[in-house]
Amino acid sequence: MKRILPLLILAGLVCVSALVAVQTVMAQDAITKLAPEAFGKLTRPAAVFVHDKHNEKAKLEDCVVCHHGGKDGVIDRTASTEGTPCSECHKVKPAGKATSLQRAYHKQCIDCHRTKGKGPVACGQCHKR
Amino acid sequence: MNAAYEFVTGPLAWFAWGIFILGAAWRLYSMYQLAKKKDASSWAFMDLGFSLRSIVNWLIPFNALGWRKSPVMTVATFAFHICLILVPVFLVAHVVLWTEFFGISYATLPDSVADAMTLVVLAACLIFAGRRLTQKEVAYITTGKDWLALVIVTLPFLTGFLAYHQIFDYQVMIIAHIVAGEIMLAAIPFTRLSHMVFAAFTRAYMGSEFGGVRHARDW
Amino acid sequence: MGITERLIEDVGIRRGVSRLTPEKIEKIVNAVLKGETGARLKTYAETCMRCGLCAEACHFALSHPDDPSYTPAGKVHQTMSVLLDKKGRVDPDFVYGMAQLAYTECNLCRRCVHLCPIGIDTAYIMSTVRRICHKLGVTPQYMQDTAHSHASTFNQMWVKDDEWTDSLIWQEDEAREEFPGLRIPLDKEGSDIYYSVIAPEPKFRTQLIYQAAAIMHMAGVDWTMPASTGWDNSDMCMFSGDFEMMGRLKRQHFESAQKLKVKRIVMGECGHAFRSVYDTGNRWLGWRHHPVPVIHAVEFYWELIQEGRIKLAKKFPGPVTIQDPCNIVRGRGLQEKLREVTRFLVDGDIIEMHPNREHNFCCAAGGGVINCGPPFKNVRVDGNTVKAEQLRATGVKTVITPCHNCHGGLHDIIHHHKLGMDLKFLSDIIYECMEKPEA
Repeated sequence: MKRILPLLILAGLVCVSALVAVQTVMAQDAITKLAPEAFGKLTRPAAVFVHDKHNEKAKLEDCVVCHHGGKDGVIDRTASTEGTPCSECHKVKPAGKATSLQRAYHKQCIDCHRTKGKGPVACGQCHKR
Repeated sequence: MNAAYEFVTGPLAWFAWGIFILGAAWRLYSMYQLAKKKDASSWAFMDLGFSLRSIVNWLIPFNALGWRKSPVMTVATFAFHICLILVPVFLVAHVVLWTEFFGISYATLPDSVADAMTLVVLAACLIFAGRRLTQKEVAYITTGKDWLALVIVTLPFLTGFLAYHQIFDYQVMIIAHIVAGEIMLAAIPFTRLSHMVFAAFTRAYMGSEFGGVRHARDW
Repeated sequence: MGITERLIEDVGIRRGVSRLTPEKIEKIVNAVLKGETGARLKTYAETCMRCGLCAEACHFALSHPDDPSYTPAGKVHQTMSVLLDKKGRVDPDFVYGMAQLAYTECNLCRRCVHLCPIGIDTAYIMSTVRRICHKLGVTPQYMQDTAHSHASTFNQMWVKDDEWTDSLIWQEDEAREEFPGLRIPLDKEGSDIYYSVIAPEPKFRTQLIYQAAAIMHMAGVDWTMPASTGWDNSDMCMFSGDFEMMGRLKRQHFESAQKLKVKRIVMGECGHAFRSVYDTGNRWLGWRHHPVPVIHAVEFYWELIQEGRIKLAKKFPGPVTIQDPCNIVRGRGLQEKLREVTRFLVDGDIIEMHPNREHNFCCAAGGGVINCGPPFKNVRVDGNTVKAEQLRATGVKTVITPCHNCHGGLHDIIHHHKLGMDLKFLSDIIYECMEKPEA
């Protein structure tokens, strides 16, 4: 059993140094992020989202595609909510059938990316460190 | 990337879960049939109360003689198994996927805790590997199957850790992580990992014999 | 490392192996694996994680700390695992080593069960290896001789029918000098107790029958012993792998008791016989319960003491230690009753060996190992230095153990290590200390 100890310490060291290296890699400024104040302390790094560049690349002209209306968890693509922040309607902890803010972002972004077969779909692709 | 991601989170995931669940069910069912057919003189003594008595006593760290005699292994294996189950089930990123695909949502572990628990799993895997290499009584009986099981379990946690911290190419790593997890799921019914399916029953059988027939402890 | 580096010549194993061909081996191995094993062996073989925790269990492994081939999993690794992996395609030389290992380096004591998190019964696996060896005709000569005796005479020691009754009548005759009116009732129908012993008792430990008769007499027990076959409760066939014969022996034993319409069977102070009658033979016969209730002498003496039927003239001078026999402790949970009986009999402390009770180390003689005879005596003596250390650490002069195999094994260990200890059966002490009629 005693022979295991050095191995254990080595494993610990490897893991700790990896962790430290990871934490210092980040800090990419000059990009727009989706980090509404409503979330408070973020679980993951804010999702990268450069509004104009995205829409240009995605050839999006109609605002209502993203800035939709609706209620009780049902989307209404006829009513534009352009200019209204997402967190206005989507609460972090919603009451009733309403969609939560996190789910709204995930659903809106990922579902579209999956349908189009383009754009980020896995966690770390948006939540970049 | 998107096509690959679609594939590993779609058809491949269904396939892996299917093999895991159907495979485990089939193995349990066929083993049950075999036990009834060929092990009747053992089967006859199965007893729920004594089964649970044995299982509970072995689930308490340092309670059984086997645990007390190998403390390092005991700490390692308890920490390993607890983290091995809790992290994948209660990881935020995994729950988000359940929500995304099925609308299911439940309690999660804070990422920092899950991260530490992942390191615990990896450290335990290193201990297991170290024992196989350096401890003669373990090295003597170690076979390819044992290394295979260890590698299969290590990979999802290693790739998961690297993907979470976005070390190396994230897109490759996240795909590798998902595939590694799927390999583990599908391997459970058909490798040494099948002890996940059978261990409760081998323990229960011993508990039944020692409790009901031999009137002695088996821990 | 491994069995191939420590082969010992045995006439029986050698001759058996000389008759084998790879084809015959393959056929018989698979016949046993397919025909007689099922989910137990399959799950054990598959789910053993090779963690090595069982190394701490086995007296052979602990007595050979540098040789992992003596660990429980190490033994399975060299035998059953190979048979399963190669689907029985092994050569005759392999069978030699497999037989020597299974018959002489595992006592089937089941201590490893206490060390295995998933509850693998290594004794079952080794018994199955022995079963295969038996079917291959590869058994140690001395053990096979006892198995032949069982098959020919229904007792282990070639005791002839008239010799058996003669021995009983002789002991009765001797005892009546000390206990006027004492009888050893033969074939007495409807008795409360049917007393059975192992064949070595009439053969060379006749005083044990004398003592048992004295205890029964003074306690006023309504008892009997059978005059014909069935009297020997021992079973080397269980250990050689001759399960068919094991079944016949156990049926004979139970039927003999049933014919006499007795209430209960009391078995003498023997461990392996108890395992055979109480736990193993009945299963082979397909009986979940015993046709006649069976209790071991330890429990019987305990009952007599509870009822105040054993009266002592003096107490045995202690301190003493207790060797827990696996087959009545791990096999029947009699450890506390054994201590209560001992406390009743002994004046002084019980100095425990460590570990003790269910966790006690085996004597290294049981499981048929001592019955493999002189060629393998050193295997079990050298294979149990941990027992010698355990015994020495108690510092006492008397070891009580209610089991013939424990006596045989410990006797050799005590002599080899010059420990200067005396071994006692409970009946030795009860007889020595009990009230006797005025001479």
